[in-house]
Amino acid sequence: MKNANFRKFLIYFLVILVPGGSLCSTVNAAMIDSRLLLQEQVVSDQRAQLLSLVAREDVARQLSELGVDPVNAQARVASLTDAEVSALQQNIERLPAGSGALGTIALVLLILILLDIAGVTDIFPKV
Amino acid sequence: MVVLMVALLLAGCVSTPQSEQLLASAAAGSGELSLSRELDEVAFYPQDAYQCGPAALATLVSPAGLSVSPEELKDEVYIPDRQGSLQAEMLAATRRLQLLPVLIAPTLATLLAEIDAGNPVLVMQNLGPGWMPNWHYAVAVGYDLQAGEIVLRSGTIRRRVTPLSVFENTWRRSGFWGFVALQPGQLSATLTEQHYVAALADYLEHAENTRATLAARAGVTRWPGNTLLRMMLAETYAGGGDTVSAEAAYRDLLEYHPEYAPAHNNLALLLSARGEQQQALQHARRAVSLGGRYADEYRATLKEIQSRF
Repeated sequence: MKNANFRKFLIYFLVILVPGGSLCSTVNAAMIDSRLLLQEQVVSDQRAQLLSLVAREDVARQLSELGVDPVNAQARVASLTDAEVSALQQNIERLPAGSGALGTIALVLLILILLDIAGVTDIFPKV
Repeated sequence: MVVLMVALLLAGCVSTPQSEQLLASAAAGSGELSLSRELDEVAFYPQDAYQCGPAALATLVSPAGLSVSPEELKDEVYIPDRQGSLQAEMLAATRRLQLLPVLIAPTLATLLAEIDAGNPVLVMQNLGPGWMPNWHYAVAVGYDLQAGEIVLRSGTIRRRVTPLSVFENTWRRSGFWGFVALQPGQLSATLTEQHYVAALADYLEHAENTRATLAARAGVTRWPGNTLLRMMLAETYAGGGDTVSAEAAYRDLLEYHPEYAPAHNNLALLLSARGEQQQALQHARRAVSLGGRYADEYRATLKEIQSRF
């Protein structure tokens, strides 16, 4: 309800402050919504988590054995779009939960996901 | 003999470090928690068939003075095909009751601290082994560290007393998932900033303005330096048409973070809408010079305000 009101408020601004003329422009004067800002923060946290996964010794070793340069994998994570980061993170969250250390199956799946990132495989369709 | 070997094997692969640590520090008298606590006032709604979700939710919200029956919640959180309830829907239904659901940090110590502070915690467990999963919602309402037990309102049992170590195992399989239901404006002892911000963002979608403002203001009081909480507080005011308070909230934010461009942008628009073009211009210019991800929007804001002179 509240957010519906806030949206109305945004529209009010668009109507009052953007009278015609700007039809060709894609960006309007608008309040920046906190949900956008939150989303931005969440994705940047997720990206940091992915980077730290790739940097883990056991993961990096597995990647090397499979012919993927871990440094290259890092660069790939850094260049993913926000949507890709979120989709990847969702795949990782579906891995079997362990109590801290990743189990063997989880590690194998994680490696597969990271191989997807590195462009070696194409298993996870959402990315 | 075989039984003994199997038992040994099972014992070998299951450890419950959190329970052990809690019980050890309680025994040594070095824990911060009360040794035992039980929230008798939490009502009990025994579940029908597979409907642990509605029953647990009705139980959880009872101390807030809400008396909803599982029957009333069934349509909201129960999926007959799957004979169960989704986690996201449990949270959404709590919000529809105008309470603020907040996930707790995933540790046993946090769970017990919430109970000690008077807040029952709705938890998800997997009562079966991995190859025969039996997902279940229950409400943790008490514990006794000397006896090493936790008390749950669970299924058809009002006081299901479970050894802490067994609970640690069944709870771990859900990733230690659990939440408290707070009155807007109420904060609980163990809340993390990150969980509160995330919970509040979802809460604001549907909450009435006054409740939304209460919840946002409580967050700002606890974590005054958090920009997102202050942005949300300003939005709850603006959403309710109280632009004076919204302006004040943006100004407060800017005292903490003078270089936070989104607040300059939003404040500029508020000021401009009530005719304070000169001040609006200053903030719009500031947002543009700070730039960032929404630089295009800031430039559009500045252009619009300039056009009003």
